[in-house]
Amino acid sequence: MEFLNFLLILWAAWLLWRRPERERLAFRLLVISCLLMALCFLIGSHGSLVPGVNL
Amino acid sequence: MTPLSEDRLRRILAWVVIVLVGGPVLSAVLLGVLHGDSPCILCWAERTGMVLIGLCGLFVIRYGPKPRYLGVVILLGVWGVYMSLRHSSLHLARDVGQGFSAPILGAHTYVWALVIYVVALIVIGVLLLLLREIAPAEGARTVGRTGRFAIALFIVVVAANALQAFASTGPPPFFGQGDPVRLSWNPKHWVWSFEELKPYVISLRGSWSIPAPDPAHTDPDPAHGPLTGLPALPVSGWEKIGAPLDGAVSGFARDSATGRFLVTTDQYGVYLLDSTLTRVLHHVVMDPGFSVDLSRLTGAAFLGDTLAVLSTNKTWALLLPAQGAAADSEWRHFLETDGRMGEVGLGRFQTVRAHLMYALALAFDPGAQELITVSAPNPRHRQLVVSRFARRDMTLSSEFAPRLGPGLTLAGPARTLADYVVTGAAVAGGRLYAISAAYSTLLAMDLASRTLTSAYAVSGLSHPVGLAVRGPDLLVAQADGRIAVLRRPPPPAP
Repeated sequence: MEFLNFLLILWAAWLLWRRPERERLAFRLLVISCLLMALCFLIGSHGSLVPGVNL
Repeated sequence: MTPLSEDRLRRILAWVVIVLVGGPVLSAVLLGVLHGDSPCILCWAERTGMVLIGLCGLFVIRYGPKPRYLGVVILLGVWGVYMSLRHSSLHLARDVGQGFSAPILGAHTYVWALVIYVVALIVIGVLLLLLREIAPAEGARTVGRTGRFAIALFIVVVAANALQAFASTGPPPFFGQGDPVRLSWNPKHWVWSFEELKPYVISLRGSWSIPAPDPAHTDPDPAHGPLTGLPALPVSGWEKIGAPLDGAVSGFARDSATGRFLVTTDQYGVYLLDSTLTRVLHHVVMDPGFSVDLSRLTGAAFLGDTLAVLSTNKTWALLLPAQGAAADSEWRHFLETDGRMGEVGLGRFQTVRAHLMYALALAFDPGAQELITVSAPNPRHRQLVVSRFARRDMTLSSEFAPRLGPGLTLAGPARTLADYVVTGAAVAGGRLYAISAAYSTLLAMDLASRTLTSAYAVSGLSHPVGLAVRGPDLLVAQADGRIAVLRRPPPPAP
């Protein structure tokens, strides 16, 4: 999924560079990529969302 | 101070993107290409977050500082700080020099991620502080030479990341790995997996979700215990603590030299009683909030003249009865004091095998000059662990999970010694005696061989909280202040 996420980011960057009129689509790609990144991290840390230390 | 115009902000941001993407993000790719370094799934998310902060910068360069871009980049910065803290916490408390993957300039990559996210937030804050209050015009801006270079560099670096991600983590739906393999461009070496999607329980605290031990609600019936065919050890008599106490008994010990008793209560009371259990010689009430956190007091032991008490979170306090102790000077240690007791030490036992387990029993081995705790198993960590601490520095000497001696048989493959909940312990003749509130069982261990040599069913107990040796007898103290007298069983024949 990390590979997919970088493709989404590349797509958004390409829109910014070559198709600036597609700002709304580029921003949506940014938001989707943020959510995917957060999902990947939560999957990687699913055993404990809070650091394994005393609170 | 000159306010920052939008054009100047966009020029500065172009350089920020160049530094961010051309610095840490590109360096991470080069680490993979040149040294085979492959990120774990958490590292990938942290690196992606940095790339996304760079992308937000490009949005501002192209469209101006719209509030929604600023909102996203601040959220990304905060999330990045959380990610790097959560990630670093896996390794920060390990021993010196230990970590994950190779360090860079003395720190590992997850620590550098924290530094980078914090710096990113600081840069964002400073730029917003200096930004002239303007309403950004709609539409795309013309991007200058520096901005074009930033976009081009961004695309090249992200493309390189995509290539590395394809080789390292695979196409969707594969995810990155917690323990990644070395980066290789040879497809035969690629490992694409779903190992992070194993159906683990999603938890806020994970292995740190440890419920407080509750021995009062365990099954007291010895017939339901994990060991079968145990001989019965009858209660030969009952005694009672006659001295007035401020709460239920939670810990119990006896000094073989003087015959005096040490009793703790669930109200943080510590009582030194005479040999008849009727007269209070000294009395203090511990302050659970100052300075270290004392959870419920649960164990007591005599270290010669010094009194040791233990709380369930393995925090200990050493007290010394002294006629000269001044009540005012000891006020900071105790909520109540008779003015004849001083605190001489307060600290916390560090365990390894019994890590993340509470303890409910304390004993002292005078021969070895060691304090002994017995862990209370919990749903996350099911082990019965005996931990020994040197008296001279209160530091861990050894730990063991006792093995079964000859003649002892578990009731089934699912049963273990961790089914017992030891709430009292005492040492005599090189043997550790331990009373379990669960299944009302007396356990006898040989400390030299680390073996559970015998166990006995003790019917009639109700919430035992402490154990002491008195000559040929064992005294089992209950929370209600009653004391069961047992004849101490002889060691098994060799």
